[in-house]
Amino acid sequence: MSDQTHGLVKHDLAPGEEEQHSVGTRILGYVVGLVLALLLTATSFFIAGTDLVWQPSIPVALIVLAIAQMGVHLVFFLHITTGPDNTNNVLALAFGLLVVFLVVGGTVWIMAHLNANMPPMDHIMQMRS
Amino acid sequence: MLGKLDWSAIPFDQPIPLVAGAVVLVAILGVLAWVVVRGHLPYLWSEWITSVDHKRIGVMYVLLASVMLLRGGSDAIMMRIQQAVAYQSQGYLPPEHYNQIFSAHGTIMIFFVAMPFVIGLMNLIVPLQLGVRDVAFPTLNSVGFWLTATGALLVNISLVVGEFARTGWLAFPPLSELSYSPGVGVDYYAWSLQISGVGTLVAGINLVTTVLKLRTKGMNYLRMPMFCWTTLASNLLIVAAFPILTATLAMLLLDRYLGFHFFTNEAGGNVMMFMNLIWAWGHPEVYILVLPAFGIFSEVVSTFSGKALFGYRSMVLATMAICVISFMVWLHHFFTMGAGPDVNAIFGIASMIIAVPTGVKIYNWLFTMYGGRIRFATPMLWAVGFMVTFIVGGLTGVLLAVPPADFMLHNSMFLVAHFHNVIIGGVLFGAFAGFEYWFPKAFGFRLDERWGKAAFWFTFLGFFITFMPLYVAGMLGMTRRMQHYDVAAWRPWMLVAAVGMAVLTIGVICQIVQIVVSIRNREALRDRTGDPWDGRSLEWATSSPPPVFNFAFHPDVRGEDAYWEMKAHAKQQLLEHEEPEYQDIEMPRNSPTGFVCAFFATIMGFALIWHIWWMVILGGLGAFATFVVFAWRDHDEYVIPADEVARIDRTNLEERRSLVSMAGAV
Repeated sequence: MSDQTHGLVKHDLAPGEEEQHSVGTRILGYVVGLVLALLLTATSFFIAGTDLVWQPSIPVALIVLAIAQMGVHLVFFLHITTGPDNTNNVLALAFGLLVVFLVVGGTVWIMAHLNANMPPMDHIMQMRS
Repeated sequence: MLGKLDWSAIPFDQPIPLVAGAVVLVAILGVLAWVVVRGHLPYLWSEWITSVDHKRIGVMYVLLASVMLLRGGSDAIMMRIQQAVAYQSQGYLPPEHYNQIFSAHGTIMIFFVAMPFVIGLMNLIVPLQLGVRDVAFPTLNSVGFWLTATGALLVNISLVVGEFARTGWLAFPPLSELSYSPGVGVDYYAWSLQISGVGTLVAGINLVTTVLKLRTKGMNYLRMPMFCWTTLASNLLIVAAFPILTATLAMLLLDRYLGFHFFTNEAGGNVMMFMNLIWAWGHPEVYILVLPAFGIFSEVVSTFSGKALFGYRSMVLATMAICVISFMVWLHHFFTMGAGPDVNAIFGIASMIIAVPTGVKIYNWLFTMYGGRIRFATPMLWAVGFMVTFIVGGLTGVLLAVPPADFMLHNSMFLVAHFHNVIIGGVLFGAFAGFEYWFPKAFGFRLDERWGKAAFWFTFLGFFITFMPLYVAGMLGMTRRMQHYDVAAWRPWMLVAAVGMAVLTIGVICQIVQIVVSIRNREALRDRTGDPWDGRSLEWATSSPPPVFNFAFHPDVRGEDAYWEMKAHAKQQLLEHEEPEYQDIEMPRNSPTGFVCAFFATIMGFALIWHIWWMVILGGLGAFATFVVFAWRDHDEYVIPADEVARIDRTNLEERRSLVSMAGAV
C-alpha cells in the first residue's frame, strides 16, 4: 500500500487544475490569439464591402474566415491542442461537432423533405377545377 | 399584483384532484410535524438537505423518483380504469381531466421518475466504483438535485393550483400554442421542464467529468466497471441532447409569452419543426434512460453468475455505438409526418441498426450466465425478467422501425404497448435491480428477499397482463389517448389490461412492504462486511454504508473486476495485522447553495407560470445572489483527521478480517 497519497490517474488534469506555464507565456498566447481574431474580423468586414475581389467569391471567403476564426478561438482561448493532456477535450469537441452536424444537417434534410408525400401544387389545382 | 392567479385557479368543482391534493398536503404536513416534534430537523438540514455527499444526493434522487413513481402510477391506474369503463359511455373522468392525467403521467414518469432514478443510482455508485471520494463538482451536484426537485414540485402544484397541460407528454404545437391552450397547463409543463432540465444538464456535466477525470490509480478506461461506461455514454448524451430540449421549449415559450411564431400555424411558423427538434432530443433521451440500466444489468448478471462479464470490450463498443447511433434515428417518431421514401428509409434502417449493439449486449449477458454458478437473488430475478421482457419490446420496436408498418401502427395502442415494454421492462426493471442490488451498500442492511421476490413476480406478471392486451388493441385499430370508445372488440382487452394494472399495483405494494419489513428487521439483515453479494467492483471494497470519504486510501487497481482481484490476492494479506499509515482527508463542506437556489427557482417558475412579474424578478435575483455568495466563499473544505479515518477504517477491517478468518476455518 505505497504511494497512496497521489491516487489519481497521472498525466491527466483534474477539474480546476491548470497546466503549469509561466504567466508570460500565457499572456503571450492570449495576445497572439486576440490579434489573430481581430485581424480575421477586420478582414471579414473589409471583404464584405469591397469590390476588389470577384463578387461571387465573397460568401465563400466569409465562410472560410469564419471557420478560421473558430480555429483561433479553439486554439488560443479554449486551449484545444494536440498535447497528451488534451485527448478528452479533442474527443469532446469531435463528439460535439458530430452531434451538431447530425442534428443540423438532419433537420435541414428532413424539413426539405416534408412535403414529399403531398401531391404537387398544380395537381391540386387540377383536382379543384 | 398576482398576475393571472386568483381563486378561480383552484378547481373547487372537481373532487378528485382536490381530495388527492388534500391527502398529499396532510401527508407532507404530517411528516414535517413529526420531523419537527422529534427534533430531527437540524439533522435533516445539516446531513441531508445541505449535503454535498454524492451518496446522500444519490439517495435523495432515488427517494424523489420513488415518490413520483407513486404519483405517476396513480395516474396510470386512473387511466386504465377509465378505459375499462368508458365503453359507450363517458367513464368517470371528464375529458379535459383525462387529458391532463395522460399528459402528467408521461411527463412525470420520464422526467421525474426514470431520470432521477437512474441519475440517483449513478451518483450513488459511480464514484465508489471509480474508487474516488466524491464527484467532480459536489456542490453543483446538490444544485442539480434540488432543481430537479423544483420541477417535480411545480408539476404537483398544478394538481390543485390551476391545471396541467392537456397536450400529451411532449406538448405538440399547435395544440400547445396559446390559441388552443390558453390556460396555464402548458406553462406549468414547460417551466417545470426548463428548470429540472438545467438540473439534469448539471448532473450530466458532473458525471462526465467525474468519469473522465477522477479515477483511482490504475483505473484505466478499459478497467472501468461496465456501469461506469454506460454512465459515461448516458451522460455524454445528456450533455449533447438536453440543450436541444431547452432550446425547443424556449421557442415554444417565446411563442406563448411574447407572440413569436416559431411553431404557430400562421405568420410563417412551422409546427413540424417542433416535432423534429423535440425528437432530436427525445430519441437520445430513451438511451439516456436505458444505457445506465444496461450497466446495472451487466453488474448484476456478472456478480450473480460468479463470472467476469462476457465480452467486456464488445460491451464497451456496443455502448459507445449506441451513444452515437442514438443521434441518427429520431425521425422514426414521425415517419408519417410527410417525408419522402429516401428520408424514411434511411432513418428506418438506422433504427434497425441500433438494435444490433443492443442484441450484442443481450448475448453477452446470456454468455456471462452460461456456465456460471447463478444465484437467483432478487436483483438477478429483475435482470432475467428484463432480458425476457426487453426482447419482446425490442422486437416490436424493430417492427415499428419499418416505415410501412409504422404507417399502420403510428399513435396506436401498439405503440403505447411497445414503449412501455421497453421503458418498464428496461429502465424500470433496471432501476429496481439496481435498487435491490445497491440498497445494502447505501444503508448497511439488505432488503428482505421474500418480499422482494414477491414484488418481482407480481410486477413481472402484472406487466405482461397489462401491456400484451394493448398490443392486440393496437392491432385492432385502437388509437392512443382515447377518453372513451364505442368499438366492442376493444373492450375485453381493456378489461384484461385493468386486471393487469391491479396485479402491477400489488407488486408496488409488495415493494413498499419489503422496505418496511426490512427496516424493522434491519439488525438481522445487517451487512457488516460491506460485501453482501460477493461483488466484483470497488463499491464493495468499502464498508456499508461507506464512510463520508468512501475510501481511507485510494484503491490501487490492477485489472478488470478490481475488487474481485483484490479479494483473490488479499485473503492472506488481510489476516496479517499490518496497520497502514492513515492520513488526513480533505472533504467538501456541506452547503445550502443547492436548496436555496432551488427555493428561488421555485418562486421564479411559479411566478412565470402565473405572469407575476415582480416575483419573477425577485426569484431571479435571489437565485443569482445565492450563486454570488457561493462563488465568494472562503472555506469550502474541511479536514477529517487521520485518527478519525483510522478509527472508522479499523472497524471495517476488523469485520472483514473476522469474515476471512471464519472462511479460512471452514
